This record gives sequence, structure tokens and C-alpha cells, in this order.
Amino acid sequence: MARYALAIDCNRCVGCMACNGACKMVNNVPIGSFWNKVLRIGPNEPGQDEVPSHDFYFLPVQCQHCENPECVKVCPTGASHRLPDGTVQIDKGKCIGCQFCAMSCPYGVRYLNEEERVVEKCTLCEQQIAQGELPQCVTNCVGMAKWFGDLDEGIESFRGPCGETMGDFCEPFDGEHDVHTLTDVGNRPSFLYILRDHTWQGKE
Amino acid sequence: MEMQWPLILFTLFMAWSAGVFGTAAVLALAGGGKRVQMPALVTSVVLLAVGGIAVFFHLEHWDRIFNGFGNPTSGITQELIVIVLMAVVMVVYFVYLRKPEPVVPRWLAVAAIVVSVALVVVMSHSYNMAARPAWDSPLLWLAYLGNAALFGPLTVTLLAASFPDAEGVSEDAPEAASAKAVVRAGSVLATSGVVGAVANAVLSVAWGASVMMSAASFTEVGLYWDPTHPNYPIVNPAEAANILSGEASLLFWIGVVVIGCAVPVVCAALGRRKGAPAVPLAGVGLACAIVGAVCLRMVFYSAGASVFMFY
Repeated sequence: MARYALAIDCNRCVGCMACNGACKMVNNVPIGSFWNKVLRIGPNEPGQDEVPSHDFYFLPVQCQHCENPECVKVCPTGASHRLPDGTVQIDKGKCIGCQFCAMSCPYGVRYLNEEERVVEKCTLCEQQIAQGELPQCVTNCVGMAKWFGDLDEGIESFRGPCGETMGDFCEPFDGEHDVHTLTDVGNRPSFLYILRDHTWQGKE
Repeated sequence: MEMQWPLILFTLFMAWSAGVFGTAAVLALAGGGKRVQMPALVTSVVLLAVGGIAVFFHLEHWDRIFNGFGNPTSGITQELIVIVLMAVVMVVYFVYLRKPEPVVPRWLAVAAIVVSVALVVVMSHSYNMAARPAWDSPLLWLAYLGNAALFGPLTVTLLAASFPDAEGVSEDAPEAASAKAVVRAGSVLATSGVVGAVANAVLSVAWGASVMMSAASFTEVGLYWDPTHPNYPIVNPAEAANILSGEASLLFWIGVVVIGCAVPVVCAALGRRKGAPAVPLAGVGLACAIVGAVCLRMVFYSAGASVFMFY
């Protein structure tokens, strides 16, 4: 049992979208679909005592492999399911294409594959992590912003592309104030976002 | 969110079917409307079937429909269970109507009302999703129940005009009792029409208010940019559920409030007057109710943005 997830150091993300391209190549993501993407948040007015003149950061977004996934709850056939490793996967052979999972996802990260007529999304490169490798978006992250690991072992243990760990490589962060999640409406997203010296925009 | 027409039609026909079946059962409880029972049952079965066919157009892989409905937390599974229950009650109802003395027992009428209400509630409950704040309210159940409560009496009024009770009174029935039953059934139907129209109006407007109140639930991130859609305008969470003055406002005010609520109330109220032309009024009321219910569902999808709407 594990709780695989990504920890994303937003202060390191340069918005190059290499993760986006890598995902597309490895997973053969159809044109028009995005299993991950990078949003630019800001520029917004900075918070009090913040060093940058404007609040501005990049936010890589994809399936958050939630601990209490709404997509799994609403799936009538069990096509969307949660694996023992904590990831949420889709059995495309069972999917009837009702798209209720896409409606129930708070983040809009699920896409209908028009050709196969089933819903798809980020698998966290299950084909690779099952063999001890990293998700491709982590491997190809130019800014060393994306880190992969097991939440049960702590965020500092998350691994980067050259064997580094987040605890050794990244700048220190305040676990209470600098670690965020995307908006949680009861789905308990697994991915963690680290943002120092900026105001995190949006609810958690 | 894009309009999901198969689901709009599915929820429309399900509410319509439940409304007709429930109204027939109310008439049966009141001891009248004997001749209209079978046409009403057939109508509700047809409406249920049409709704069922409509939903198949939403599925990308309907050929895999029997992959299993084993997940009880899925709204679709719950809908299927209630539809099967309703079909079972309909079959029993049919059996009683085919007896030499076609009388619907009280327990069966109550079961028909309960399963009709359950169908609408379960159907609308499957759209309650925390991810879509405008959808996540029990008032949606009530709005769809209001639709059903309006569709039912108006449709049965039209059917009753073609199958009047007076023609079905058996020759050996006590004249006074039969005449009383006919009058009582007419009165119940007219009252149901008014109650249904008022309930539909109140509940539709209440649902609209709940959609407006969901505005605070959307995530705001200030300025942002999505490089995969560089020419898309920035979405404004504050406007996502603004159905009173936003993009969907015409649909709400004209379609839902005026056509879908006000006109049926007027038709139902006029229909209660002695000597009023019940059939044209019911026809106009029903047509407007259908337009209103479709508009309500269009507003539903229009306001159905996800809580984090920037992806």
C-alpha cells in the first residue's frame, strides 16, 4: 500500500511546459486533450510584506489522484477506480463514456477520447511507476519543480530525475504555510504544491 | 458547461413520466378517473421509454451498458434501480387495471406515488456534485419535482378529455355514487393542476436563487493565463452562476419564469373556473411547462461550471 503523488515546487517551475510535451509523447495524448498543463497565475497584487513586486507563479495541474475521488464514486461500471498504490486509474474496457466522472471532477482534468469514445486522464504514468521509474512529467521537468513519491514516507523523500530527494535539493519550506493543495470539495487531492513568499491564490 | 441534450431530454421525460404516473395514482386514491387510468399508465410508460432511449445518445459506448452497474454510489446505478422499481410498479398497476373490475388498490396507488417521487429525486440527486457548486443543492430535486407536479395534472387533464369518466360508468353502478366520483375526480385534477403549477413556480424560482447563491463557492485566482488556450478569454468565477443578469439570464427570466412558471399558473387557475375550456388551457399550459423545463435544464448546464474552472 502506498499513496503515490507529486509534490510541485511552484517557486522552481519556469512554465516551460516540458511536462506537457513529455506527457503527450509518452501517453499518446490526442490533439486537443491535455493530461497535464501549466497555468500562469497572476500577476496579482502582492500580499503584505511580500518581496516580489507582483504575485506571479506557474501552476502545473493534472489529475490530483484524490484520496476520496468523486470520479470513482459516480462511475457506474467501476471503470474509474483507485489502485492500492493510491493512484486513480480508468479501465477503458469498462468505460461506457457517460462522462459523469468528467462532470464530477473539480479540476476538469478528464477528457473524452473522441476516437476510442472513452474518458482518459493522467495515469501518473502507471506503466512506469509500477516498475520503479518516475512519471514522465517528473523526468522531463526542466526546472526540477516536479517530484514523485509516497505521501506516507514524507514529502522530503520525494524523488527527482537524477536520484535527488526533495528534502536535499529544494530550498526549505514551511510545512504549515508553504504547502498547499488545489481546491478541496471533499475529494482530498493528493498532490501538494509548495509556494514560498507568494500568496497562494484560490481556496484549498 | 456545454449543453448535454440527451441528458436534458432524459431528465425531462423522466419527470414527465413520473408526473403522469403519480397523478394517475392520486386520482385512483381519490376514487375517480377510472377510464383515464389505462391511457395515463400507457403514456407514462411511453415517456419513460423515450427518456430511456434519449439517455443512450449520451453514452459513448452504450454497447457496454451491461458492463455492470455494480457501483451503488453511482447516480446512474441508483437511477437504474429506481427505474426498474418503477417498471415493476407499473406492471402491477397494469395487471390491476386489466382485471374485470379495474380498481387500483390504495397500497398500489401509494406505491406508485412513492416510486414516482423517488425516481425524480434520485435522478436529480445524481447531478448533485460538490465539484459543480450550482448543481449541488437539494433544491434541484424540488425543482424537478415541481416540473413533474406540473406535467402530470396537465397531461392527465388532456387524456381525461378523450376518456371521460361519464362514458365509463357501469350501468349497474349507483348513479349518485358514480356521478359524485366523476365530479370529485375532476375537482382533484383541477386542484392538482393549480397546486402543481404553483409548486413548480415556487420551486423553480427557489432553485434559481440557490444557483445565484453558489457564486461564492467558485475558486478565484485573480489574473491567470492558460498557454494551451492563448486566445480564450479569462473566465470570471463571479459571473459563472449569474443567471439573473448573465449569459443565461434570458433563458431564466423568459424561458423558466415567464413561460415555464407564470403561464402554467395562469392556465391552471383559469382551468378551475366553471365552464372554462379545460383542454386548450391544459394544452397551452403543458406546452409552456415543457418549454420552461427545457429552459431550466439549459440554465442548469449553463451555470454548471466546475469549482476550479481554469483548466
